[in-house]
Amino acid sequence: MSKAEILQEPEIEHGGSEFPTPDLGRSVRIVGPHVNVDMNESPHPKNARGELGKPLFNWYRNTVSQDPLTRVSAPNHFADRRQFLTNVINRSTNGKVNPRRVFVDDPAAMTRHIKSVALYMGADVVGVAKSHPAYLYASGGGRYVQDGTAKDEYQNYTPEELARKFPYIIQAATAWDYNKLQAHRHHIGDAAYHVSQIKGVLVLKALEGYIKELGYTVIRGVVTPQAAGVAGGIGELGRNGLVINKNFGARVHMPDPIMTDLPLVADEPVDIGVEDFCKICRKCANTCPTNSIPFGDKVVHNGIEKYKINWLTCYKLRPYVHEHWGSCLTCAAVCPFTKPNVWWHTMTVSLLHACPYFARPSLVRFLKWIDDRYWGLVRSNRVRWLGYDSGVKPGEQACTVAGCNASHEGKGQAVVGDAGFYAPLKENTNRFVKREA
Amino acid sequence: MFPWSKGDSHRDDAYWDFFINTPPADLANTVSEMIRKAPEGNIFPAKTELHTPEITTSHVKGMAEYFGAALTGVAKLDSSDPSNPEGYPYAVVCAVPAEYDPRKSSGIGGQVPVQNGLFVTFVLSAWIRELGYRATAAPQPGDEKLAAQAKLGTLNSEGRLVTPQFGTKVYVANAIRTDLPLAADG
Repeated sequence: MSKAEILQEPEIEHGGSEFPTPDLGRSVRIVGPHVNVDMNESPHPKNARGELGKPLFNWYRNTVSQDPLTRVSAPNHFADRRQFLTNVINRSTNGKVNPRRVFVDDPAAMTRHIKSVALYMGADVVGVAKSHPAYLYASGGGRYVQDGTAKDEYQNYTPEELARKFPYIIQAATAWDYNKLQAHRHHIGDAAYHVSQIKGVLVLKALEGYIKELGYTVIRGVVTPQAAGVAGGIGELGRNGLVINKNFGARVHMPDPIMTDLPLVADEPVDIGVEDFCKICRKCANTCPTNSIPFGDKVVHNGIEKYKINWLTCYKLRPYVHEHWGSCLTCAAVCPFTKPNVWWHTMTVSLLHACPYFARPSLVRFLKWIDDRYWGLVRSNRVRWLGYDSGVKPGEQACTVAGCNASHEGKGQAVVGDAGFYAPLKENTNRFVKREA
Repeated sequence: MFPWSKGDSHRDDAYWDFFINTPPADLANTVSEMIRKAPEGNIFPAKTELHTPEITTSHVKGMAEYFGAALTGVAKLDSSDPSNPEGYPYAVVCAVPAEYDPRKSSGIGGQVPVQNGLFVTFVLSAWIRELGYRATAAPQPGDEKLAAQAKLGTLNSEGRLVTPQFGTKVYVANAIRTDLPLAADG
């Protein structure tokens, strides 16, 4: 994409001056005409229709996980869907809006209240975005509500009509556990991802119910989560296509946001230096097992200037590795922003935020040098958690629980050393995409 | 930020009382109701290979803690007791902190400990069934007694659990009755 094309006058659409092109911060810009994404063309629905080939279809629809925790916490790999909480919550009957509406005279106070409520219920990050038609899925394409339906009177509204009727989007996110995430490409990493995911679904549903009790209408499954997250100040969009938060880095869930007519005050996009970091760092691109993350500059895709990951190759890895893990997470685990939420992390991000733009590349090079030195180019530490052990090679079995004297027939002896084994390794997966250089 | 400044952190919030104390007009708006109504799933046909009962107990407790329980204990049940017709040998008791007493605060906010407790017991009992063992989190009276038996704390004169960590500001979630081989705390 040439510079001239990028700098062309953005085409004002979506109702002209009523919805001016939104500011999404430095990491994403709307630069050209944008066509709303049809929800049915997103990866999971495509796969559910069998359009991505047999292995993926069978992995998605017909695979029961070998791991008991994955069977209760991960979408689609359960033995019995009644054990999967997301299914229970999203298939429940929706409650009615309370006819006795609570009057809101100060939207700022209500915004503070809703944020405290979300945090009280267990969310880790909350942001409010002003609705814009560009954030929504295309009309008539259906809703994206996992394991549920969202048929209501707003089903046939256009994005403009929805943005007019529901002026605010609330995004409440839960963070994955840092220590377990270190075992990316392992069932321990899955536990970090999937358990916080079902918790996030519960928090959003509870918040949705509470807003209805306040007497306001709520709709779900209409907003693209990344757009709302960036616009609502949850974080900036990174090279790995994930929203990167100042406290948790890339380890936040960005689930289905809540769109509502509750009067609120919207947050602004944030600047935590992701833009400057991603230009230089490329750790996620280097370690992606399928080479799905670009090494090059941002591109303009569907009128939006951003780093464009190859979702298809990212997705295609899954059926080949499901015996060892469910969610890859490597790009999130190696991201230098993904650190424990402690004072030195807060301090470093604040430093990056306060640093003038011209000096940021030098600071980023220094920070990346520290990151490479202390955390390594890719996480390979051994993680043990409740009988799970990433020091056991994939495909092998061993009981490494200290003090266990139960007889485990056919299992190997205790493993020594501190190396974690995370299969498959990069060289095995070059068949997905050949690296450019 | 500091323990002594924690006091009434929602003093400036005009809507907080509504959140804590006003009962929901439609119960279907609460997640607790959704989980309560949900039927329990099947027991996975193949039993997972276990470690010793002591280690299994520590894993169950670790899992409960990861799902959000603050205190977890295992109580031994009397298999011949008529209140235990299924003959479950153990009960896993989980407790979560409760800033407001869920028996008095009937708002969605006041019921958050119940919601957190149901999250823990739903996922934990489902996980035990996926291990291949029987487990039920159906509500039964006497969970606070089981909590005291599992040494989470002691009962006061009103029959409420008092714990060293939270005092009475604690909510005991539905005990999970199971035949997973465990080592009881009491």
